[in-house]
Amino acid sequence: MIEIRNLSFRFQGSESHALRDINLDIQPGEFLVVTGPSGSGKSTLALALGGYLFRQHAGEATGTVRLNGLETREAEIFDVAEIVGLVQQNPEAQFCTLTVGDEVAFGLENRRLPRAKIEERLEWALEIVGALHLIDRPLATLSGGEKQKVAIASMMAAKPQVLIFDEPTSNLDPPATGEIFNVIQHIREKAGITIIVIEHKIGYLRPFQPRIVLMQEGRIVQDSRDLGTYPTYRPEPLPPIAADRPLTNHCTVRTENLCLGFGDSRVLDGLSLDLHEGEFVAVMGDNGSGKTTLLRCLMGLLRPQEGRVEVLGQDTRQVPVSSLARQVGFVFQNPDHQLFADSVWEESVFAPRNFGLLDEGTEAEANRLLEECSLAAYRENHPYRLSYGEKRRLNLVSILSFNPRLILLDEILIGQDIRNATFVMNLLKEQAGRGSTVVNVTHDPETTRRYSDRIIFLKRGRVVVDAPTEEAFAKLADLGLKDYLPNGRTGLEYSRT
Amino acid sequence: MNTRPKILYQQRSSWLHRLHPLVKLCWLVTLSVALFIIHNPAWVLTVLLLAALAFPSAQLALRRDVRGARFLAIMGFLLFSLQAVFNHTGRTLVHLPLGQLNLTLTSGGLTAGVYIGGRFLALIFMSYLFVLTTEPSALAYALMQIGLPYRYGFVLITALRLAPIFEIEGNTVYQAQLTRGVQYDIRSPRKFLTLARQLLLPLLISALSKVDALAVSMEGRCFGKYPTRTYRQTPEFATRDLASLTVLAIGILGMGWCLLL
Repeated sequence: MIEIRNLSFRFQGSESHALRDINLDIQPGEFLVVTGPSGSGKSTLALALGGYLFRQHAGEATGTVRLNGLETREAEIFDVAEIVGLVQQNPEAQFCTLTVGDEVAFGLENRRLPRAKIEERLEWALEIVGALHLIDRPLATLSGGEKQKVAIASMMAAKPQVLIFDEPTSNLDPPATGEIFNVIQHIREKAGITIIVIEHKIGYLRPFQPRIVLMQEGRIVQDSRDLGTYPTYRPEPLPPIAADRPLTNHCTVRTENLCLGFGDSRVLDGLSLDLHEGEFVAVMGDNGSGKTTLLRCLMGLLRPQEGRVEVLGQDTRQVPVSSLARQVGFVFQNPDHQLFADSVWEESVFAPRNFGLLDEGTEAEANRLLEECSLAAYRENHPYRLSYGEKRRLNLVSILSFNPRLILLDEILIGQDIRNATFVMNLLKEQAGRGSTVVNVTHDPETTRRYSDRIIFLKRGRVVVDAPTEEAFAKLADLGLKDYLPNGRTGLEYSRT
Repeated sequence: MNTRPKILYQQRSSWLHRLHPLVKLCWLVTLSVALFIIHNPAWVLTVLLLAALAFPSAQLALRRDVRGARFLAIMGFLLFSLQAVFNHTGRTLVHLPLGQLNLTLTSGGLTAGVYIGGRFLALIFMSYLFVLTTEPSALAYALMQIGLPYRYGFVLITALRLAPIFEIEGNTVYQAQLTRGVQYDIRSPRKFLTLARQLLLPLLISALSKVDALAVSMEGRCFGKYPTRTYRQTPEFATRDLASLTVLAIGILGMGWCLLL
């Protein structure tokens, strides 16, 4: 079915190879998971399989990729597309139309199928992903999980022989993640096609007994069918499960009956919370439960419609964001949305310079952080030239350099491999040890268990669990929220031996 | 993330919703042109009144469905008032001595006020009616149906889809800048350029990454493989559309007749 021989690829302008000497045979109907650290070449391999790598990216390629005998480096992209469908990470970025029906029909219309055939395929594809009821809905009104189902259906409609998923659940909450992986398994059973999933969260896929390929630095370093030799790439020891450092009673954040809504819907509904100095708090909950809105309220970016938010003794309605920001660091979800300077060094001191806090001490701290985050070698580089993981670390450096007393993090582990995630979390734990309060919006129970002192779980804008970490997990179990429990299935993989 | 645009098609079942998008587009263009070429205040007021009345008949409410309806109404009234108070051409209708500031209303001033304020409001209301009652994709598909090359049609659809996403991202970048202490006080052209670059660069990078993903998605679904494509559904012309076009054609002929006389 798929035959890759001695494939190597180096992007133009890059010193190292993204793919090195890849040899891989994939049989019809096989379920393959490709995993490995960020930047190990997984997505590049997916682009090579789909034939996009050789057309959309300038670079130096050697070796061959054959799909049913068709050489993807030479074949027309449309011929390759008849065999392979690629579902990308962010469904939002790959939609070409405005409604579910139009989106799934898009590829069929381009292939000039007659109307009756389009309707037949459309229903089949939506049915197989369990989304037929969404057929008339505008795409903008769908949840993240629903959007990903539609993205899958839009590829399935063409009945490809191979379906590749490039981190299809990275933006989804645990229930939706589980649902998407079940959909993938269902497609495999019903359609009998070859499935290739690029994924960090391999614990979810273990029950489906896939073949697992581990990549590192552009090479395949392990290819295993046997769960007994399940690959691991965790390079450093785990930190302790919870801090035994006593927390102070000094309150950093206090919300009283915090209510906020947009239009007719209430996003936060009567939140009363106290967060303390040195506390590492995980905020969990389904997508749309109000987690990001809560962070924006704590930063003063959104003002409460009812109730009150007090941050470091200041009512957020009374003080401007610029004043709060001197003591509060906020890391947003997408690293590219928060890089403003022309060099890594300038980015690391961007905020202190704006706040008028830049002095020798701050510069020394920024230098120390850049060294610690392995970014010192890139001081003069433009931030956008860094890898995803490096940008994430730079985002953190740019707020830690002014030593904020409150740190707000919005799903910063998305798209991170375990090595980067562990590094970032250790850095934050260290900052909490210095007395900063860390509020981490996350979907990853494994990381939460290891780093957080407390979990606040939101559901439809209300707090349903607020307790120390282990106690909170017990309560979540009682509530039947098993997707949020650190059972080895959810979250990033820490170790499998 | 909610990516719903702020000015959004409102799904209802009114007669205006059921009209073919191209018929509505013809009406919008014709009435807009007529507003400017027919110099008669009664005509402007009639179009404005009809546009306002069309809202309830299309199961829409001005206050609920038109963003900033109050602001627009105030703007329209201000435009009218400025002309009425300061344009003193024509016959004097009212003269009120108010100390040094005499209030004089003339026929020319009132007429100019109706033209400017009335045209402003009528154009906005008609455009809103069109957007609120026309599914954007239906309009694009209808344009492709009458011969617009599908590559251009999908430029419109992609723009409609991405605009609200960029709006949200722009807001996020702005908020991220606020949290890093960026001050939006523009004191010099150089500061303005720096601020613009800091705001636009993240958006540009984001847009470029979306272009890559979109290209993979479109090519992977054979977009551009053939010079033409089929359509799952295209808006069909119904009897009401033909009737509506007939009324419009008669109107245009009548308008031309009046202008010639």
